[in-house]
Amino acid sequence: MKRLIFALTATLLMANAPAAAQTVGFAEAIKILSASCGADIDKYCKSATLADNGIGQCLAQNEAKVSQKCNADRAVVASLIQERLAAQAAAPKICTNDARRLCKGVKEGAGHVLRCLLKAQRSVGEKCNTAIDLAGYR
Amino acid sequence: MKKLLLAGLSAAVMTTAVVGSSAQTQLNRNEIINSLQGAQQKVDVSADALQKAAFENIQKYPGANSPQGVPLWDKLASLRQFNIEITFDFDSARIKPESYETVGLIADALHTPYLQGQTFFIVGHTDAKGDREYNLELSIRRAKAVREALVTTFQVPSQYLFAVGMGEEQLREPSKPDAAINRRVQLINVGYR
Repeated sequence: MKRLIFALTATLLMANAPAAAQTVGFAEAIKILSASCGADIDKYCKSATLADNGIGQCLAQNEAKVSQKCNADRAVVASLIQERLAAQAAAPKICTNDARRLCKGVKEGAGHVLRCLLKAQRSVGEKCNTAIDLAGYR
Repeated sequence: MKKLLLAGLSAAVMTTAVVGSSAQTQLNRNEIINSLQGAQQKVDVSADALQKAAFENIQKYPGANSPQGVPLWDKLASLRQFNIEITFDFDSARIKPESYETVGLIADALHTPYLQGQTFFIVGHTDAKGDREYNLELSIRRAKAVREALVTTFQVPSQYLFAVGMGEEQLREPSKPDAAINRRVQLINVGYR
């Protein structure tokens, strides 16, 4: 019995894990930068801004002085943002056929097609559902 | 017994949920989306015209505080909009690291299909302390800084975002001109253009 419960929990965890673990939102990503590098940014990058990778460049220039945690995490943050952007660019293409099949007559724009696909989740193909998860659109 | 236990358990879960949500930042992506999305009438106000009107308001009604707001501004009142607090260094357009998350939330919202393809004004406002023209210039620089961060760091398509500064010309709380509530960044959905 105990083993069964354990197996069940493991399955549940695994079912939840992929979507949550693979991409994160922009707010969540950049929050890591504030948490890990906030003090270094205020110390060494007083004139750098969040625009044009100014903060990233400044932290790179001050690599030797910046905390170890910041040096490790700033690269992570940059790739997290890129991963989410890529997932969002890919989702509409991956879902084209599902949208054609399940959302006939739904007009494009303003999220109408996405709303339709979210509603039709059970009929939507696995690839499209995963793409929606990775894009953070659920 | 089973029922009682279940009831107790669900009550406990609910409590956790409530505590959890209040412990987080109040702001979330869906709140921004819900405030900004939706059908609305067309408003033919350009960002340039609005910016010009703000400068003209200072020339027309000089003085420490403006006796009245910018007439063109009223046209935007009916549009979908959202006020957000972003903190900057004193007298500067440098966004503080503590506000990175907020800018990221705006990016999260603007990158959803619900808002994609629509045009937004990013409007900076100050409180009424200090010189009006200085405040206007500062708010322009701050609105631009937010726009730049969205366009570069978070790659929101640049053609959909316009930065406008209103300085202290459109206070949120005119009865308390120096209050912090007036300092804000406002997102306004001006629709498909």
